[in-house]
Formats: sequence, C-alpha cells, structure tokens
Amino acid sequence: MPALLSLNACKGPGVPAVLSGPPPVSDQTTMLLHAVTEEQNLIWLYAKASAAHPELALSPLLAEHRQHLAQLSARVVEPPGKKIPGTVTSKPAIGATSAAAVAQLRAAEQRAVKVLLSRLGGASPSLAQLYASVAASEATHVAVLDSLGRPQ
Amino acid sequence: MTSTTPAESDITALQGALAAEHAAVYGYGVVGAMLSGADQAAAHTDWIAHQEARDTLEAMLGKLGATPVAASPAYRLPFTVTDAAEAKALAALLEEGVTQAYLAVVAVRDAALRSFGALAMQPPANRAAAWRGSTVAFPGMPG
Repeated sequence: MPALLSLNACKGPGVPAVLSGPPPVSDQTTMLLHAVTEEQNLIWLYAKASAAHPELALSPLLAEHRQHLAQLSARVVEPPGKKIPGTVTSKPAIGATSAAAVAQLRAAEQRAVKVLLSRLGGASPSLAQLYASVAASEATHVAVLDSLGRPQ
Repeated sequence: MTSTTPAESDITALQGALAAEHAAVYGYGVVGAMLSGADQAAAHTDWIAHQEARDTLEAMLGKLGATPVAASPAYRLPFTVTDAAEAKALAALLEEGVTQAYLAVVAVRDAALRSFGALAMQPPANRAAAWRGSTVAFPGMPG
C-alpha cells in the first residue's frame, strides 16, 4: 500500500522528469538529423559511382564526405541515447557513363549546398558554421567535378 | 539586413572580413609579381575579385553606420616569396584567411548576414583549392 500511494503521488503536473516521456526532439536536432541522412546519401552515391567508374578517382571527395558525416553525427547530442539514423534514403541508379555519373554527383553536391545554406537561420552559431563550412567544401567538389567533366 | 541597430558582433565580424580582404588585395600584388602566363592571369582575376569584395564590405559597413577598417600601408608576409611555388602557396594562404574571416560572419545572430558570410566564403574556398591543388573537408575551420 505505501508503494501505491507514492506512485499516485507522482501523477499530475508535477511529475518528475524521470517518469515522463522522452523530451521532444528540437527543431535544430531534427535539421541536424536530416543533414546526417543527406550526407549518408551523398556517401552512398559516391561509393557507387566510384565502384562503377574507378577512372574518376573520386576517393578524395568521398573521404571528405565521410569527414563531414563524422562531424555532423558528433553534433547530435540530444535526446540522450537517440540512435543516429544509419539508413540511406535515396539510392538512385548511377549514370552508365562517367560523364553521366559526374553530372549526377555535381547535381547532388549543388543540392546539398543549397539545403545546408537553408538551415543556417535555425542553427546555433557553431552548428551554422559547420553547415557553412561543409557547404563550402561541397562547393569546391562541384568545381572538381566540373574539371572531371571537361574534355581533356 | 534588418533596419534595427546592428549588433556589435555583426560589425566586428564584417570588419574582420574586410581586414582579410585588404590583406588579400595587398598579398596578390606579391603573388602576381612572381607568376607568369596563365597563373599570373588567374592571380589578376583573383586580385580583382578581392577588390570587389572589399568594396562590397565597405558599403555594407557604411550602411550599418560603421567606419570601415582601413588597409595597412604594408603587411608582413608569413614567409618569403621568391618563386612561383611560394607565390601559389601564399595565394592559397590568403584565400584560407579570407574564407576563415567569412566563416566568422556566419556565427552572428542576423540571419541575412549569416547567409552572406556562408555564400561569400565559397569563392575563396574554391580559389584556395585551386592554388593548393586539392580540396579540404572543412574550409575556414581551424586546421
């Protein structure tokens, strides 16, 4: 009976946090989790394009995307214990020719830059800087891909 | 840009970017003198880009009611530049400095200024990669 009484006492507006549900995910974290997923999609695309067209030598750009993913994932600090999504949500067919694959990667990088820049306003200063730096890196990838797409 | 009184941090960040652009304008004078042909033409194009960026920042600061920071009469180079390879290394370093300065603008509270800083850091990040001959994962971030 004493145990039942103490549980009843926990109901109502003053419920201790430990007994309430998990806190809602903040908008900033939701955005960050989306950014993580988008980076995973880019990595998947680069890995597939590298396998299909090894002559493009995409490893340095792929390695930088892996660094982006590591930094973005490291910023996911709430809610405690929440698993960072590990699922690739977009698996398009890779261009059959190297030129088509380069054009596909270029378009994906440009999209990624645009999306990252759209997230600056709702982010903390340090997260906004990470988004901007990753976007700048991806903008340099566009230039590299442009040079790959040019006839030698 | 908002019509409210700008935060001191906004002004400080823009002044930092302007100071970096002043240094780049000076530095490219040294870079161009050591290069020839297509490299010199590229350095000239980049030098013009920094002058334009400097003018943009001066105008922005003026609109915010601040006095734009002036260029120094001379700058100490981080290393001696005696050949084309060193000139290219200096160009990359100048671009990295400008990229870093614009990244500081991204940390301000004003959303429009954040976007400005994020967009403005892309050309110097690209130029740094071109002079260096390779990309980096986090342009503007301390290495």
